[in-house]
Amino acid sequence: MTTIPPPLGVRVAGDTNVGKVRTTNEDSMIVDPGRGLYVVLDGMGGANAGDIASQTARDAILSFVAARRTVMEPKALMEAAIQSGSAAVFGAAQAHRERHGMGTTAVACLLVDAKRAVIGHVGDSRAYLLRQGRLQMLTRDHTIVEELVDRGLLSADEAERHPYKNVLSRNLGSRAETRVDVVELELKPGDRLLLCSDGLYGYAAAEAIQYVLGSGDAPEHVARDLIELALRGGGGDNVTTIVIEAPQALATTTQLVKTSGAVAWWQRRQRFLQVAKESGLTRNPIVRGLEPNEALELVGLSLCQAIFHDLEKSTGVNVWTFAQNLAGGWFERGGEWAPLRGMMDILGESARVVVDEIRALEPELGFLLDVAVSRALVVAELALGGLLAERLRQVDSELIQLHTAAQETMDAPALDDGANLNDTGERFIERPTIPFLRADRPITNPGESAEVMNAIEKTLTIARARTAPRAELVKQVLTGLEAVAMDSASNFAASVIAARDLYGTRTVDEAGVMPLFDALDQARILTASSVHQIQASPATRARVLRVISAAHQRLVGAATGLVLEATAPHSEKLRESQAVTSELRDKVAQAERKRAELERRFATNVDPSLPWGARGTTEW
Amino acid sequence: MAEQTDLVEAVSVLRDEVLETAEHGDRDPPGSEVFDALLRALSIGGESVPGLDLQLHESVSRRLAWGDSEEVALSDAEMVFDRLMIAVERAFRDPDDQIVVVEAALQVAVTVARVVSLAAVARATRDRASRMREEMSQRQLSEVLEKQKANIAKLEQDLKSGFR
Repeated sequence: MTTIPPPLGVRVAGDTNVGKVRTTNEDSMIVDPGRGLYVVLDGMGGANAGDIASQTARDAILSFVAARRTVMEPKALMEAAIQSGSAAVFGAAQAHRERHGMGTTAVACLLVDAKRAVIGHVGDSRAYLLRQGRLQMLTRDHTIVEELVDRGLLSADEAERHPYKNVLSRNLGSRAETRVDVVELELKPGDRLLLCSDGLYGYAAAEAIQYVLGSGDAPEHVARDLIELALRGGGGDNVTTIVIEAPQALATTTQLVKTSGAVAWWQRRQRFLQVAKESGLTRNPIVRGLEPNEALELVGLSLCQAIFHDLEKSTGVNVWTFAQNLAGGWFERGGEWAPLRGMMDILGESARVVVDEIRALEPELGFLLDVAVSRALVVAELALGGLLAERLRQVDSELIQLHTAAQETMDAPALDDGANLNDTGERFIERPTIPFLRADRPITNPGESAEVMNAIEKTLTIARARTAPRAELVKQVLTGLEAVAMDSASNFAASVIAARDLYGTRTVDEAGVMPLFDALDQARILTASSVHQIQASPATRARVLRVISAAHQRLVGAATGLVLEATAPHSEKLRESQAVTSELRDKVAQAERKRAELERRFATNVDPSLPWGARGTTEW
Repeated sequence: MAEQTDLVEAVSVLRDEVLETAEHGDRDPPGSEVFDALLRALSIGGESVPGLDLQLHESVSRRLAWGDSEEVALSDAEMVFDRLMIAVERAFRDPDDQIVVVEAALQVAVTVARVVSLAAVARATRDRASRMREEMSQRQLSEVLEKQKANIAKLEQDLKSGFR
């Protein structure tokens, strides 16, 4: 295997394998980042001539490019280099009778710079481009069947089943000169080019190639995994792959965490489990009854996997789900909060130990990982918080129901009285939005003498006269008080009407609501002092104050009722919104389970040694 | 007119009559925080800055935190006030004593209404903020769901294609 350090941000790796059937590898390749030359050659011909053909062409192409790289235009260079390879193979075949008929395919890529590549090919070795997750073939096989398809003489299905589908119409070596197809390609950041022999695509589906090539893994891993893919598909031919990755537009921290960070975390999972065990995970009541290894796997490894997948996908859903499952399961079993808190602390501390160790080795990556893992742990805490809040709401709701039921039982006779009031038409408030204005409340001014009514009027007149000129709201309160206190019906209608006038239009915040209560308080002080100004007996003054105070209290109550009425929709909307979120969360969790299962099935086929989903292209 | 301490003692005697201690027991019956605030107001005497009774604030807030609704807290305050008006008229022969107690009772009632309104407004603010967070979560969850659906469709397609 050839691995080259990335020049100018381009990452390249190549790999080749003899396959499971052949005894010799007739494929050859060039991986020359210095000249930007990458070639896959697939030799053919009996008596070991195939490998000689591909090697001969390889050497010729490399020499040609080395000599003329700087003096020839790239497309011309590519064509001439492949021609030189063809001439060299043809010459070698002519020189040795036993090598007559030998030849080779060639697919070559010349990287002009980080943004431009020239692809040349002869035969059925292929070049693919993976751009934004989509795989496209850059070359067209030079086979007889393909030529027939091009001329419209064969359908694609017929071509697939044609006995001569592998017979080449062009190659390097059958003649001194051959026609070379050359295309120029503009590379975009993150593009991946794949050069391969037919040993790959003949034994692996295009979807699988796309999946592995788009996995986001390093090119050396991808080149190896593609070979593995072909071997799993039968490995009936030599297989060679070269993966070329154009520089990323910007190596974001997210990308770094998604790739290197996730891998670094996963590689240290055993260390995480060890620390968790030492911290007492296996002794936590949540895992009581489980063997230590089972407990570590069930809780520790699950979190480890959840963090890994969240790092890989830049999401928090896995950790969220983990925390909800852990806490939900424990609470359903009647578990208490303390063990859960303890468990989360153990897991959090273990994760931090692991991250600290990574940070000591790779400070930059460790820093990013620290942030990402901390985020994952915060997500877990949020999930717990959400669960606890939900439970608290349930308990609150139950308590309120119990309390209301108790109140209703106690109030039952009084409600009968209310019904009687209703029958006589004295009951005004039936609106459920102001439930505290109960019909059974005692009326404190069931009818006052003319003397008292007169004294009330005088008191309020004095209070108005003592009000500051611009205190309009206070004046309005005093007017309302007069209406309520003088109301001969002695019910709550006047207070509600007065409160509505007073309330007017307000914003539902302190700035909107507090002036109302300031004015009510100011009016209270004014009326209390004004009572002492009127010419009346002490008993009448006391009576007047009681009536005005009762009216004031009803007005204050009605005004507060309006505030509560104004704030109620916010709670209602929140509950509706929470219900929608909860429903969505369930859907996400359900979809996540399905996705995880599919990904596990899929990934197992690619590499059973990896954790499920490790090769996923899914990102969310 | 009775001395202030005598007046406080005289009002204290009305506790069982004003609060439903027979039904709820002597310990914290509904509205007890209002009655206690009245006693404090009478002990201090004179006018205080509105809403300065922090103990009343704290008592009402605690009730709300323990699950009583604002309506219930307000309703209890009104009940105490109404019963007190009746009890005062019956129990105090001196009109000046009645005036002092009624003034203090109204001051407490208005303070309770102010505390309850503040709590309601604070709740509405919290609910508004929570709803915004919920809506943000919903947007994120919807995006996640869409991506999940796409991923699932892709994986199912891959599996159907017989990838090995």
